[in-house]
Amino acid sequence: MTVHVDLLTARELASSRAATVSLLAPVVRFSLRVGADERDALSSALGVPLPTRIGQCSRQGETEILSLGPDEWLVLASESEAAGIIEACAAIYADAPHSLTDISDREVTLLIEGPKAGELMTLGCPRDLDRLPDGEARRTVFDGVSVVLWRDGAERFHIDVWRSFAPHVMSLLTTGCGELALE
Amino acid sequence: MSRFRVAGRGRVRHDRPIQFTFDGQQIEGCAGDTVASALLANGRHLMGRSFKYHRPRGPVTAGTEEPNALIGTRRGKGRFEPNTRATAQDIWNGLETTSQNKYPSLAFDVGALNDGLYMLFSAGFYYKTFMWPRSFWDRVYEPFIRAAAGLGVSPSEPDSDHYASRYLHTDVLVVGGGPAGLATARRAAEAGLDVTLVDENSEMGGTLLSEPQAEIDGKAAWDWLAEEVAALVALGVRIMTRTTAIGYYHQNMVGLCQKLTDHLEAPDPAMPRERLWRVRAGQVALAQGALEKPLVFHGNDRPGVMLAGSAQTYLNRYGVKVGERPVIVTSHDSAWYAAFDLADAGATVQAIVDTRANPRADLVAEAEARNIAVLDGHTATGTKGRLRVKSVRVNPVKGGSIGPGRTLSCDCLLMSGGWTPSLHLFSHTKGTLKWDEETQTFLPDRKAEACQIAGAGRGLWGIEAALNDGAAMGAAAAEALGKAAKTVSFRVQNDRTGSGITHTELPTDRHPSQTKAFVDFQNDVMAKDLRLAVREGMRSIEHVKRYTTNGMATDQGKMSNMNGLNIAADALGKPQPQVGLTTFRPPYTPTTFGAFAGYHKGDHFDVTRRTPIDSWAEENGAVFEPVSLWRRARYFPQSGEDMDTAVSRECRATRKSLGMFDASTLGKIEVVGPDAVEFMNRMYTNPWTKLAPGRTRYGLLLGDDGFIRDDGVIGRLSDDRFHVTTTTGGAARVLNMMEDYLQTEWPELKVWLTSTTEQWATIALNGPNARNLLEPFVEGLDISDEAFPHMSIAECTVAGYPARLFRVSFTGELGFEVNVPARHGRALWETLFEAGQRYDICPYGTETMHVLRAEKGFIIIGQDTDGTVTPFDAGQGWAVGKKKRDFVGMRALQRPDLVAENRKQLVGLLTEDGRTKLEEGAQIVLDPNQPTPMRMVGHVTSSYRSDAMGRPIALALVEGGHNRVGETVHVPMPDGVVRAEITGTAFYDSDNERLKL
Repeated sequence: MTVHVDLLTARELASSRAATVSLLAPVVRFSLRVGADERDALSSALGVPLPTRIGQCSRQGETEILSLGPDEWLVLASESEAAGIIEACAAIYADAPHSLTDISDREVTLLIEGPKAGELMTLGCPRDLDRLPDGEARRTVFDGVSVVLWRDGAERFHIDVWRSFAPHVMSLLTTGCGELALE
Repeated sequence: MSRFRVAGRGRVRHDRPIQFTFDGQQIEGCAGDTVASALLANGRHLMGRSFKYHRPRGPVTAGTEEPNALIGTRRGKGRFEPNTRATAQDIWNGLETTSQNKYPSLAFDVGALNDGLYMLFSAGFYYKTFMWPRSFWDRVYEPFIRAAAGLGVSPSEPDSDHYASRYLHTDVLVVGGGPAGLATARRAAEAGLDVTLVDENSEMGGTLLSEPQAEIDGKAAWDWLAEEVAALVALGVRIMTRTTAIGYYHQNMVGLCQKLTDHLEAPDPAMPRERLWRVRAGQVALAQGALEKPLVFHGNDRPGVMLAGSAQTYLNRYGVKVGERPVIVTSHDSAWYAAFDLADAGATVQAIVDTRANPRADLVAEAEARNIAVLDGHTATGTKGRLRVKSVRVNPVKGGSIGPGRTLSCDCLLMSGGWTPSLHLFSHTKGTLKWDEETQTFLPDRKAEACQIAGAGRGLWGIEAALNDGAAMGAAAAEALGKAAKTVSFRVQNDRTGSGITHTELPTDRHPSQTKAFVDFQNDVMAKDLRLAVREGMRSIEHVKRYTTNGMATDQGKMSNMNGLNIAADALGKPQPQVGLTTFRPPYTPTTFGAFAGYHKGDHFDVTRRTPIDSWAEENGAVFEPVSLWRRARYFPQSGEDMDTAVSRECRATRKSLGMFDASTLGKIEVVGPDAVEFMNRMYTNPWTKLAPGRTRYGLLLGDDGFIRDDGVIGRLSDDRFHVTTTTGGAARVLNMMEDYLQTEWPELKVWLTSTTEQWATIALNGPNARNLLEPFVEGLDISDEAFPHMSIAECTVAGYPARLFRVSFTGELGFEVNVPARHGRALWETLFEAGQRYDICPYGTETMHVLRAEKGFIIIGQDTDGTVTPFDAGQGWAVGKKKRDFVGMRALQRPDLVAENRKQLVGLLTEDGRTKLEEGAQIVLDPNQPTPMRMVGHVTSSYRSDAMGRPIALALVEGGHNRVGETVHVPMPDGVVRAEITGTAFYDSDNERLKL
């Protein structure tokens, strides 16, 4: 009944003329929680402004910060930047208390691209993704599973999904890749 | 070509013959035919038997509202479907179809015996007949009813098809592709909106497909239609055929079921059969049109008796004459045109019988021009013909009295009792209806959603009226969405406008008790059944419906609701609105389970969460069990072992030397911030202020009712950072509860919560050799008993992986829990497993974990607690901080009933014989000799065979249990009463000596 799904090897999961779905290599991922009064201090410490509108992203080098809630940000970075981020935050903790928690391994990232990438997302996502501007992201659901979904461009999305839910999402995306190619 | 097929007529491909079978017989049709039109083209009306009386039946309609022509269809193995509407199923080469509800054959059916006994099967038959004697219910009545219930045969094989679903957002969703819908879509699309147009038929056009004579703005209807559809496509309108709007839900969400392959001879096996669309629309335009109503008279259900408008559809859309010698019986102008079209196609129309005394002069003139006899002011009082109508008896009606009857010979009888606007989807929204006296129908009134209703669906009649209304509603929808829309108007030549009157039953000279005048064809409900229901006290139409089953068949009363209401209202002597209309419910037409299930079957049925170590467990023969959405390894049987043997071995190995366990599913929450300790103090019963960084504590979480909700070991990593663990099933619930309190009660606290359940893979090592195995792999930490005592936590490196190491035990043995980032979980597991071979390391599953913890009396939330157990009931009063100012549930713990003496309390149970394992859930009594029903004082919550104790052990909740230690209680079981002694809950090593290694 079960097929083991490898979540450790970045690779193409499914591909058709409609879309291609891939599992990406791990990134460094922090959940950053901080109140309004201390927000600017964190922006300065990280060298990247914390966006104020939910769904907005700001980027600097390989660091990207996504606003997920009134006091919640997702910080994405490369391996080499991780230690610097932890240090910078620790340094201002006493004056600007916040929570920085490593969730790099909590989630995996899936990339969906191709001429029907947008339609593929409609198999599981109830949001109107035509209204999602390029470069922004939303916390939403895909086939009942909580995900964070970025629109990278007209034909390109990526989603972060909790590790144990990923095989379920991957299975529907794979099915959809084939289904959309039939049309 | 059969004589019923009219050359050059219809939209079917006369040049493309199609072969299919009906009851094993080869039938030829044309590409574009439905099963019904192809059978009719072969002169065949008989297509099924009715449900209750097994009366021979043929199609009444040409669409999805069909109540009679329900057939089985088979599209290969695992692809049988009962109750397919023959009027909506396209034919293709090789399609197998079968009639239903007949034995041994469609033409000769023994079940038709019921028809002769109809006097016995009156309304409320089941309620009256199957009441007494009571003892007959289980053995006689219910089996009989079950055997007789249901139409058609359920599929016996798993469905081989697959199904799909999508979400869709559109500015305007137009339901119905007739003239009104087309015009609506065009206006909205031209206003620059994103428009979706759906129709349940195989092509767009609706009425236009049946009325090619119309000329729209100077163009022949079908030319206009082709151009219009092309124009819509060019405007980017999403056009979906074979797509039924099945339900209209809150906030303009409409469910669509799109049929993708049922009409195809050789579909790509990868194609889904159906797709369910969940559409969120800015505006919904309902352009569903109207359904024709049958007339109610004796014998109105014989094969060959059909709605006049449907006969017109068969002729004009499918090129099929439904008969050579039709008689028309009508109370509405529209049926006259069916007579004219059939006469023009070469049929010999025997007569037009109109119930009205003075039909329209222009219609009479046209009839005379075709030499068609007109009988105005007449009623129909009966039909003859066993498997096909062969004559109809008609009588003049004058001043309320029925004149002498005469018999008109015919081979089909086309009836029209007027038209009913389709209100189904509008009613799903709880939009209100108003009664229209003039047309004697309900019409849409107050809207509850952002929708427009256009055309015949709101009582308008004729193509021109529908087009103009559609255009106006398209403009209205556009304006509602902030777009300007042009106004246009259409001119239609040869439009067939008209009007009519409504009837209850047609007047008759037959005795009412012998009049089989059908209202609901599918459920065999007759007019007299409805009148009987009223006589027997039913007042509301909802009661009449349930008593008679009128409108309760798969067509949901599309044919019968209005006639039923008119008759019930007449019997009650009340106007129709006071009797009411039954509620329409989704789906609009029967919808497959597959469409609703969509992708959720087989492996994709639901989420199955797996840990990073799950694949190792699978490769090593684990038996799994579901725990919330997770699947967890339950035990690891070696060859020939059953569960008891495997668990016993796993327990023994762990206590003797070393066991390893995948604890990754444990919920984990990182609690961080300057107020973290205050937050912990408020949430958990335990005191946290004095817990030093590097130490852990067992935490108990209550609801505000004082009952245990969750528990787990919690480590303090630094002053401001806690690593909280929860139960596997409680992880999401606990985080939600914490967030709820934080956001609503204590927003001033500077503390934040992050779920880290899936950040960490957790490997538990338990047994006397746990440290011996682990020590060589640990860097940056001294894990000796002195430096890292029981209940410690530290960050370190294990086998080169960054780790959070707990010294903790859920088994009573020396224990560690190693948390590493999830991606390393399996690698570390394998490393430890390899190295552990020298200690005979034993991987164990949840079952062994349960036994080991029960031997120590550790509780499992949800097994030994059930939401009514306080910490004191569970013997965990020690975990409640005595000096705390407050915590969730503290006040509730002071309520009189929560401090009462005789509450159910958790105790141990040892069966007296030392061999019998109690059954979990078994009830406990104090005196086994008391009369039944006995007073039950508690139940067994956990029960296992304990290898360490050499006997079965159990935990139980027992009234006043803590004061009964040493007493004997009794557990009555089917094969005798088991005696057991109440004990403490810690069976094994109650002094915790084994932890001190």
